[in-house]
Amino acid sequence: MDLNGKKVLVGDDSILARKQLIDTVKGYGEGATFIEAKNGQEAVELYKENSPDICFLDIVMPVMDGVAAVKNIVEFDKQAIVIIVSSVGTQSMLKAAIDAGAKDFIQKPIEKEQVEHVLEAHLEG
Amino acid sequence: MYAQFFGSFLLSKNAVTPEQLTAAITKMSDTHIKLGTLAMHKGYMTASEVDEVCFLQTREDKRFGEIALERNYLFEDQLDDLLKSQNPDFLLLGQCLVDMGALSNKQLESLMVDYQEENEIVDVSAKSESAEKTQKLIEHYFVIAEKPITDHALMYMQLIFNNLVRFIGEDFTPLSPIPCSEYTTNYCTAQIVTGQIKCTSMIDMQPEVAVAFASRYAKMDFTEFDEYVKASLEDFLNLHNGIFLVNMSNNYSMELNLEPPYHDEAPVLKLTEDSFVIPVIYPFGTIFLLLTI
Repeated sequence: MDLNGKKVLVGDDSILARKQLIDTVKGYGEGATFIEAKNGQEAVELYKENSPDICFLDIVMPVMDGVAAVKNIVEFDKQAIVIIVSSVGTQSMLKAAIDAGAKDFIQKPIEKEQVEHVLEAHLEG
Repeated sequence: MYAQFFGSFLLSKNAVTPEQLTAAITKMSDTHIKLGTLAMHKGYMTASEVDEVCFLQTREDKRFGEIALERNYLFEDQLDDLLKSQNPDFLLLGQCLVDMGALSNKQLESLMVDYQEENEIVDVSAKSESAEKTQKLIEHYFVIAEKPITDHALMYMQLIFNNLVRFIGEDFTPLSPIPCSEYTTNYCTAQIVTGQIKCTSMIDMQPEVAVAFASRYAKMDFTEFDEYVKASLEDFLNLHNGIFLVNMSNNYSMELNLEPPYHDEAPVLKLTEDSFVIPVIYPFGTIFLLLTI
C-alpha cells in the first residue's frame, strides 16, 4: 500500500496502544507521517493544526473522550475520516460513534486485517 | 482452567502450605511429567506400586516403564498409552510438590481423585472446556473461600481468569481470596466501571513482576519499568473491562460505562466487605487482583 505523504493521527491515552497501532499501519505501507494525541482534546487540536488524511481514536480517554472528539473534528471538517479503535464495542457505543460522524469502528484487541481493511477502504484512492 | 484451580484446592485442604505451593509453581516451567504420576492418574498403577518402582530405579539401571512391565504393574498397551498421552497440566503441579517432598505419592493420588470428583471432571485431557465447567470451578473456588458472590461478580471473575489465560498465559494459579480491610500496594493500576453495576478493578504487583507481565501482554521484551510497562498494565485492565461491557450489553442488554484506567498512588487502600483480594501466582511473580463488585 502506498502511504507516501499520508498523515495519520492516532489518539489514545496509552503510549503502548499508540505504538502498536502505528506499527501495524507501518506494516502495510511506507511513507506515512504519524501524529500522536493522548486525549480527545489534544486530538481535536492536532487535527485542526495538521489536517491528517485519516484519524484513529480511542473512546475511553481522559479530558475528552473519543466520541466527543469525533463530533468536534467532524464539525470542523465534514470530510474527516475518523476511525474509532476501542475495547468497548457495545451496540450503543458503536451507534454513538457513527452518529457522531465516525466512519468505522475497530474492536480491541486489534486484528491487523481490520486495520488493513480500513486503510484500503478509506485512505486509498 | 482445571490446572489453575488445583493449587487453591490443595491449599483449601491444607495439603500444602502457600510457600510450598509457590515454590512448586516456580519449578513447574523446568519440569516435565513423569510416567509414574501419569500411571497413577489413569489408575493403571497405585501409589505404592509407583513408590516401589521408583525405589527399584535407584537400585537397577532401568527405566520406569521397563521395571513396571517386569513387575506386571503395567501392561504393554497401558505403557504405550502413557507414553503417547496428553498431560493434564495440574498433574505437573502435583508432581513438583511430590518431588519437593511436600506431598507423598499416596497423598497426591487421593487429592487428585477428590479434586476430579468435587469438580465433576470427567475427561481432564480434553483441551476444550465448556464455559459451564469453568463457571462451576470458579463457584467452587468461592464456596471454599466462604465468600458469597453475585451472578455478575461470578461472570466478571470468569472473564478476568479467561483474559489472563488469553493475554498473559495459562501458567498461573490463583490462591483463595484474602479477606482484608487494608491493603498495602506495590504498583497499583485501577479502572472503574459505572452504571447499573459498579465495579472497581485493580491489578497490583511489584515493578519487576510488572515488567514480565507487560512483556507477555505486549509480546515484547521489556527490561525496565518504563512508560510502556505502565501502559501495558492499564491496557490489560482496559481491554478486560471493555470486553466485560460488551458481554453485559450483548447478553443482558445492560449498558455500563468505563472510566480511563489510572495509577492509584495510595500506599494503603481501604477495602470494604464487598472487596476481594486474589493473589495469582505466575512463574515470573505474583499479581494481585483487587476487585470491588
